[in-house]
Amino acid sequence: MDLIFAGTFAVLALGIGLYAVSVPQGGRAWWRLAVAIVALVIAGELTGDSWIGTILLDLAELAGVGLVWSHATKEAAAAARTYLYSILPAIACTLIALALMGEGGTRPGPFVESLVVGLVIIGFALKLGLIPFYFWLPAVAGAAPPMTTALIVSVVDIATFAELAAMRQNSPWIFTDHAAVWMAIALLSMFGGALLALAQTELKRMLAFSTIADLGFLLVGLIAGGTAGMEGAWIGALSHALSKVILFGAVGLAEARIGCTVTLDTSGLAARLPLASAAFIVGALSFIGVPPGFGFAGYWRIYVAATQFGGPVLIAALLAAAGLDLLCYARAIHRTWLGPARVTVAGAPGWLAPGVLSVLAVTAVLLGCYPSVLTGAVGPSLLAMAR
Amino acid sequence: MLNPVFLPTTILFAGALLELVLAGMLSRAAKGWLAFLAATLALVAVLAMMPAVIRGEILTATWFDWDAGIPLSYHIDGLGILFMLLGTGMGSAILLYSVGYMEHEAEGVTRFYVLMLLFIGGFVVLVCAANLLMAYFAWELIGLCSYFLVGFWYKQQAAADGSRKVLIITHLAGYGLLAAIMLLYIRTGTFLWTDPAVAGAFSSGIALLMIVAAMAKSVMYPLHTWIPEAMNAPTPVSALLHSACYVKAGVFLIARMYSIGPWHAALGNVLLVIGCLTMLIGAVFAMAQTDLKRLLAFSTVSQLGYIVTGLALGTNLGIAAGLFYAASHALFKGTLFMCAGAIQHATGTRDIRELGGLSARMPVTTRVWLVAAAAIIGVPLTNGFVAKWLLFDAALEAGQAVVVVVAWAVSIITTFYFFKATLSVFYGMPAHDPRLEKIHEVGPSMQFGLGITGALCVVFGIAPQLVMQPVIEPAVRALGFDWQVQATWLGVVTGSGSIGVTAGAAAVVVFAALFGAGAYRLVRAPVAAHAVAVFSGGENLPEGDTLGAADFAEMAEEAFAPVYALDPDRLYFPIWGEIRDGASRVRSVATAWLERQPVRTALVSAAVLFAAVSLL
Repeated sequence: MDLIFAGTFAVLALGIGLYAVSVPQGGRAWWRLAVAIVALVIAGELTGDSWIGTILLDLAELAGVGLVWSHATKEAAAAARTYLYSILPAIACTLIALALMGEGGTRPGPFVESLVVGLVIIGFALKLGLIPFYFWLPAVAGAAPPMTTALIVSVVDIATFAELAAMRQNSPWIFTDHAAVWMAIALLSMFGGALLALAQTELKRMLAFSTIADLGFLLVGLIAGGTAGMEGAWIGALSHALSKVILFGAVGLAEARIGCTVTLDTSGLAARLPLASAAFIVGALSFIGVPPGFGFAGYWRIYVAATQFGGPVLIAALLAAAGLDLLCYARAIHRTWLGPARVTVAGAPGWLAPGVLSVLAVTAVLLGCYPSVLTGAVGPSLLAMAR
Repeated sequence: MLNPVFLPTTILFAGALLELVLAGMLSRAAKGWLAFLAATLALVAVLAMMPAVIRGEILTATWFDWDAGIPLSYHIDGLGILFMLLGTGMGSAILLYSVGYMEHEAEGVTRFYVLMLLFIGGFVVLVCAANLLMAYFAWELIGLCSYFLVGFWYKQQAAADGSRKVLIITHLAGYGLLAAIMLLYIRTGTFLWTDPAVAGAFSSGIALLMIVAAMAKSVMYPLHTWIPEAMNAPTPVSALLHSACYVKAGVFLIARMYSIGPWHAALGNVLLVIGCLTMLIGAVFAMAQTDLKRLLAFSTVSQLGYIVTGLALGTNLGIAAGLFYAASHALFKGTLFMCAGAIQHATGTRDIRELGGLSARMPVTTRVWLVAAAAIIGVPLTNGFVAKWLLFDAALEAGQAVVVVVAWAVSIITTFYFFKATLSVFYGMPAHDPRLEKIHEVGPSMQFGLGITGALCVVFGIAPQLVMQPVIEPAVRALGFDWQVQATWLGVVTGSGSIGVTAGAAAVVVFAALFGAGAYRLVRAPVAAHAVAVFSGGENLPEGDTLGAADFAEMAEEAFAPVYALDPDRLYFPIWGEIRDGASRVRSVATAWLERQPVRTALVSAAVLFAAVSLL
């Protein structure tokens, strides 16, 4: 699994890099920090489930703070501070929890167990931006350029989620014995994220909240466990990473061309930016699990796992949340991208950024049409991890 | 080597791929011919499978693992072949028609043909899939194709809005199917509906979930409201949506449920009520329309009510009636839409108040329209008559006299609004619009496309046995029912009638037509000089003014005002409003309590979490 994630991050980083050549995201500091983040995350993945891996990922989180800070605006500085104040206690929580568990994630005594589980939940909820610990994510999305957020959400966050998933494999008691608490966080994030996304008018913030909602879905996969749940969480995380780069990239491209923030009142971008528009639509539909997007490959497994775990009530809850996501993205697609054009675009249309988005969007569809290319490798990898 | 059962799918998807690869090299017309060729080859491949299916064989094959442990498996029986024929047959005719229709389209022609081929291909996968997860995949694939096709002219607000509605209503309802599949899987451990274990796990609740999904696809009341908004699509799209590849997906699912497992009789009754309500409300709404395509859209709602009612009867005759009606509807509704498209193509409008006298300028379209309109009304010698006869007979045999009364009343309403449309568009005085002066008949490919399907309406009305024995019978048997229909020239032989019914009904129609013509002449003669051709119900109209057939729309609106109040969109708006308001309230709370006080929120949340972890 670590190799699959490392490969995915490398490909996404390449895409983000090529995109950033065409649509500048920042100066030298940005590039250095972006490279550092990718290197740390890939190294962390390749190191496996160890202290070193955890520390490398924590360093990547801190580099992410620096990445936001590198945009020399007041809003970016404020967002970076919020991010930092969230990440520092998160790092502390997870490191203390790991120290209490000791090597191999063995189960401690009852009191320490509660402490460990509490610390793990708080630590990862802060890192991933789960509700109610989500403060930094919308702030970062609103203040930083879209690809900065994409790098944090698609690479750093998903690597963190992979770390949590590995913990689920190695120390299942953290989840199985406290499933109700985890499930509360997951449902709160799913519904809260979706409703908060629906309440946004600015697309970047909307995308940030929908990230929270999707992480809630992925968390359900981890809580439910089993083959379907774990595979669903892993595959869903890969799809999340791919889709978010496409979505933030499309919005970033639009913002670069129209020279202002993209909101729900920005109508008819598709007439001016057809490739970015197509990429956004494909990314959105794949993200919310509509076939033939890649997202469905993760989602159906999570639905199976949720039905096994919580019966008709839980599957109904998941589908209701998915319905909210659909309403949210359909509104964004139709109010921002489709309809009569009410915006003008500046500058010559470059090919690199739209090209990168198109390649990623086509990849999302191809992986959705024939997911066994990837999912065929996930099952054996999970078995290997379990052994 | 590729198993022949996968040929139709492969040809259609390969056609779509070729369209993309050759996009830069082909002219618009060539792209159309390529798409037509792909659909026709797929049709030939389907026809090649028919002999085996007629012999009662079931063609099964597994190709590859679509997803880990999820094989792409086909199970082709009589039902599958029937719907494959509908998809590829109607698809071929519509794509032939599209060659002329899309020839002058400025942009998006490749996109159009790719989506059309994927649409038909997705439908073929749906009706062949033995794996329910693959069926859901195909279900959503055709949903997405229709979404993109309805929004083909995405720069127009109406098209964009229409496609949004299609996506939201059909996809949300599709979650019913997904939930049903998940529940079946949990109970049986398999996604294969052909596995005997699935029949044992197929409960009423699961069937109800599937019915909800089918209702949205098959425009059953109250989930039908997307279809009139979808009329802003290019007409070939409307034709394909209405005749073969979209609304019929829901019909297929309802029919297929009979072979998945037994249903509770109460569910059949629920479906009967929904079917009758749908046929009635669709027809009443159709009466009030002045947009030709919207009128046809509501007539689809009404006709789908007939089809589902037939299937809901759940008897040997009912299933045969439902399936034959589905096939017949594909032909006459596809034809009517192609005629409407030809009219819009030639005149630039589909508002029947702006049209008139087209019979002189578009004689071929007029004749074909007349045939198809006669079929949908149920005039003898057309397939529509056979379908209605079989349905009425099935309802009587099942002791459902109310169904017969409702269906009969709806037939009268259908006659009324089709007369309105026909007279307004093709006869009477041409509208005083200079654009209409230059109207001429559409090109040969369009004429041929609509002509084929129009001709088949008559062929299958005169010789229904041509479609009954080879196509409908295997489909009925595939669902576990006995074949009880004896089809022969001019109609079907059932317990309550034979050819005499056709002859008698034909005589009645001829008599009624003669009577009408005579009455019209008598009434018309004295008032011709005053140019008031229609009795207005009171005061004479001002000199020189006349009432047109379209004016009856307003009368219908007044007369049926209580029915129009049943428009479910009135319910959907408040639901959307509540969700939006709820989201705003959540945002206010989140901003005030969580985001502005992050430290306090984090500490309180952490304390609650530790307490919960310790206690739970």
